[in-house]
Amino acid sequence: MIRPITYSFSELTIDKVHLSAMLGFPEGNLPEPFDLYVAEAFQEAEMICDIQGAYCFTKTIEFGAGNGQLIVDGLEFEIGKTIAKELRHSENLALFICTAGSRISQLSQELLTGENPVLGYIYDVLGSMIAEAATDKLQLEIQKIANEQGSAITNRYSPGYCKWSVADQHKLFSFFPENCCKISLSESALMYPIKSVSGIIGVGANVKFREYTCDLCNQNECFQRSHRRIKA
Amino acid sequence: MNELLTKLSECIEFGKINMASPYPPNMKGQEGADEITRKALEEGVNPQDILSLGLMPGMERIGVKFRENKVFVPQVLMSAKAMSTAMLHLKPHFLSGAAKQKGTFIIGTVLGDLHDIGKNLVGMMVEGNGYKVIDLGTDVNSEKFIDAAKENPDAVIGLSALLTTTMVNMEKIARDIKEAVPGTLVTIGGAPVNNDFCARIGADHYSPDPQGVVEFLNTKFA
Repeated sequence: MIRPITYSFSELTIDKVHLSAMLGFPEGNLPEPFDLYVAEAFQEAEMICDIQGAYCFTKTIEFGAGNGQLIVDGLEFEIGKTIAKELRHSENLALFICTAGSRISQLSQELLTGENPVLGYIYDVLGSMIAEAATDKLQLEIQKIANEQGSAITNRYSPGYCKWSVADQHKLFSFFPENCCKISLSESALMYPIKSVSGIIGVGANVKFREYTCDLCNQNECFQRSHRRIKA
Repeated sequence: MNELLTKLSECIEFGKINMASPYPPNMKGQEGADEITRKALEEGVNPQDILSLGLMPGMERIGVKFRENKVFVPQVLMSAKAMSTAMLHLKPHFLSGAAKQKGTFIIGTVLGDLHDIGKNLVGMMVEGNGYKVIDLGTDVNSEKFIDAAKENPDAVIGLSALLTTTMVNMEKIARDIKEAVPGTLVTIGGAPVNNDFCARIGADHYSPDPQGVVEFLNTKFA
């Protein structure tokens, strides 16, 4: 069963100080007029976001004989050793997709190549934050359902990270109706709208959620790592 | 050096686009790259000098500051905008041959990857340092890079990737380019790549920051 969700921007945990820090200016020390641009982006965000998501629980999962294969309802994913290790005690999986919508990326691109590249960049960063914050919220819903059934959840993992091939995105999306949440995939398995997140979460009585997972990955400049560095 | 060119290089370094621009706050109400470039041309300053002695030094200084984490992406974007505004005045002179760019740089994010902020910063920085930049966009396959390389002999190609999983595509594209257009120089960048990976895939150069790409190009086109 596919469970759809929608959120408004105001429901998400995003603040201006955090956005400023993501732009490189800690403690909200944004020079003029960047502070005004951030205020403008926050004001517009509610109007330009179309936050949608969906998730479902799989029926069966099985780990392949090799390292890093996961068979989900008969479909084989090459998730790689790192993620396979993190999911190894899972009894089933939650699959999810979530997006901030297309408008924020379009606006960002228009501004980046036009009159106000800094505002465009702010929308770009804010779009990523919205997609992640919405997925955080969606993950809480999955956790709540799992907890009610006496299970816990793992962290979420996405194709394209930790050596999980982005090509598997097509398989992941096959669990959802076509154009679900208005997200489509390119031939090379990239999501449109760009500010979208997809992935899997392990569910089971003996799985563990890790507070810090950046040590699993070697990407020094990824969004999640910056996000955690700033929060710390 | 001409006082106008010194002032122009400061406008580029600090991202002062024009008089109306409120950034940077301490240059409010002052002329920016737009007005000063126009004035320099009116006063008969050689367009090549405007590029080489005004715009490029400013862009180089912001590039070094970015490498040293003294400024961040928004400040670089302001500098690039100031630069592109000034370049609009110089464009006719490039077309007439009165001013020349140093060479051509083709850049794109490799197949399977949509991340473009890093690629764009490199493109802006390279352009600001006197090169013609051909930006092929994101999710670019071998064929597009090869076609661009054939259309622009002697151009250097820059490959960008953010996802670890697209490193495979970067390797294939680098090899395809080398096979189809032998002698083409390829520089790579992006969070998951490094010098070892560069050597392994047969690319010619790796840089962790935009300024490094500029420095590499300067050694090849000097």
